[in-house]
Amino acid sequence: MVGMADLMVSQNQSMILCTFPLGSCLGIAIYDPVARLGGVLHSMLPDSSIDPQRAAARPGMFLDTGLALLLEHAGNLKSKKENLLIYVAGGSEIMDETACFNIGKRNYEVLTGLLAKQGLKIHAADVGGLTNRTMQLNLGTGEVRLKFSGQAKMKMLCKP
Amino acid sequence: MQAIDDYINSVRFLPAAPRVVPELMKLLNQTDVDSSKVVKLVSFDPALTANVLRICNSAYFGAATPTSDLQEAVTRLGFQQVYQLVAAATGARMLGAAQPGYGFDQGELWKHSVAVAVTAQLMAKKLGDDENLVFTAALLHDIGKIILSQALQSVYPKLVKETEINQQSLLESEKKILGVQHAEVGARLLERWKFPPSIVSAVWFHHTPKGAGKHQRLAAYVYMADMIAHFMGHGYGHMAFALRGRSDALTILGITSESIPQFLMESFDQINTVEALFTLAA
Repeated sequence: MVGMADLMVSQNQSMILCTFPLGSCLGIAIYDPVARLGGVLHSMLPDSSIDPQRAAARPGMFLDTGLALLLEHAGNLKSKKENLLIYVAGGSEIMDETACFNIGKRNYEVLTGLLAKQGLKIHAADVGGLTNRTMQLNLGTGEVRLKFSGQAKMKMLCKP
Repeated sequence: MQAIDDYINSVRFLPAAPRVVPELMKLLNQTDVDSSKVVKLVSFDPALTANVLRICNSAYFGAATPTSDLQEAVTRLGFQQVYQLVAAATGARMLGAAQPGYGFDQGELWKHSVAVAVTAQLMAKKLGDDENLVFTAALLHDIGKIILSQALQSVYPKLVKETEINQQSLLESEKKILGVQHAEVGARLLERWKFPPSIVSAVWFHHTPKGAGKHQRLAAYVYMADMIAHFMGHGYGHMAFALRGRSDALTILGITSESIPQFLMESFDQINTVEALFTLAA
């Protein structure tokens, strides 16, 4: 399990990295089929500037610091950016015309901006909507699956 | 009101009335609480007492030497803390089970309730309101779901479909399909169980806080904490996010949407408390 506001990168082929239910948070899975490694990040909020102290203690809480660290860990294990496949899930939204409660949407907007800056593209995503999900990355196969709350069957987000 | 009462009277299973919590609530506002009175009230219910002692002695709340004596627990933790543990142990008993009518697995409604209660409490603490009252209202806000779940079980696919196709809230779908919704049913049940009017009103209007009149502040805490718990992933069942945004909840509490990320982070800080309370339904 990868905790909330946390991240993990590993080369252990027998592992399945799994998030807790994401809510409006984002789960970001990366997989490098060449270096044969993968990682998962579970971020709650877009921007670390609201609390730099917290970001220093828990970089995974925010998308900017969390994504930077996720990519750094992958880089340390000899992963090349151009080989990375990126998957995103979460960011659920309530029915809110006033946009006062649009944390999920904000998260996804900021993430796409951060990825663009790094020259990275999202391979597959399942974000927004009214349902809570968890995300799993199989490090042996690179498969990403989603479990939707209240539904028994899992969804395959990608099969490389 | 008659329709709600008729509905409650028609269900096959009603949980036993939690007698201790409303009685303890009467003592909450007293400045000098006689602890023997507290012990006597709680001891009426041996299973409840055992559960409260178990969590008092858990790694999270525990002191060096475990206690098997409620009097000692009250002395050690104080009445306020013991009150919350009693409320939580009572809630766990009612809210712990799976609710197939909503697509909740075993323990999921309880996890949600605890997350909402702890979040509402930290908000009340920060904004200077009665923490115990807020905690209790938040803990019991979805009690009506255990009643409606029995009827929804056979129409669950319909509930999900109605919600998805019409883009309406789950509450609106319930009302359409069953003629009643969980907030009003839960509130009426708490009223029958002699919970104070403030709690009844806050539960009734936890999706529409402005409707709670003089208790709208309490209802707004429950509404906001419910949202935050959902954002943090503690919203279960299919279409869990089919909830209406009510910006007036922010106005009632005198905060702006800018504070939401702050409360999210603070709610995350309480994760250990939340996890300790989860175990009550284990």
